[in-house]
Amino acid sequence: MLLRRGLFVGLSGIALVALWLLIAGPSKVVGVDPGNTGTLLLVAAAWGSLFALSRVSTGGLAREMAPGELKAWIGLGFTVSVLAYAIGQAHVFDGPAIPHNPDANRVGRNIALLVAAWAIVSQVVKGRWRQPVQRDERDLEIAANAGQWARLGLSAYAIGVAVLLGFSPAEKLSWAPPPMIAHLLVLGLIGSCALEYGATAVSYWRDRH
Amino acid sequence: MGGTPVRNDIRRLRFEHGEMTQEALANACGITRQTVIALEAGKYAPSLELAFRIAHAFGARVDEVFRWNPEDAGGG
Repeated sequence: MLLRRGLFVGLSGIALVALWLLIAGPSKVVGVDPGNTGTLLLVAAAWGSLFALSRVSTGGLAREMAPGELKAWIGLGFTVSVLAYAIGQAHVFDGPAIPHNPDANRVGRNIALLVAAWAIVSQVVKGRWRQPVQRDERDLEIAANAGQWARLGLSAYAIGVAVLLGFSPAEKLSWAPPPMIAHLLVLGLIGSCALEYGATAVSYWRDRH
Repeated sequence: MGGTPVRNDIRRLRFEHGEMTQEALANACGITRQTVIALEAGKYAPSLELAFRIAHAFGARVDEVFRWNPEDAGGG
């Protein structure tokens, strides 16, 4: 119990340091981007959480929660962190095209790294889960329902951006050069993933209460 | 997913079948243990196929395991 609490505190600490490095940390330390370290730490924290939970799946919290719910809560935390980072760094896209903008290049690379790392981590951990059945018809029903929420959210966001860009006078759109519009599209995708994880986690949570 | 009008006697049947664990029933039916918990709590209505699989695990008919409660259906 003490070990588990220590593990939880340790992983939370790592995740907080990672978020600070990504969102509020200095942009360069002796010529090195601390965002890369933040990315690595955040991926390590997500991996550690999923791995620890997969190893204790016969007791404690993991006994109460379906594998799908655990993955949804951790996925929600991870995607919200990526979203916070992407929103916090949005100002760097208000400039020249990404190949000619080193800051936008750096942020874009970090976001791509985070998304790719999450895809790999979640796939690897899926194969290590101890429970014989990881997904059944209830999980599929919850996933379909969450997918509908994500589609709805993404549609509303796309309409909002389209109306904003299509109906605003050109002189009021100086904040939205093409790289910023590209960033807005990526934000929509990350946001819809976060919404899907959130709807999944809440559905499971409601079933348990 | 809130409460469902489909009630069941899974918990009683488990105990009548040698105190079968939720895990054993889940493995017998190819579902997760958490789905057995949701079924017993009346939070989830199974598909017809799963209802047959659960009844088969107990050697019972579907209507001996599940019943429909019109009062919970809110209109029936």
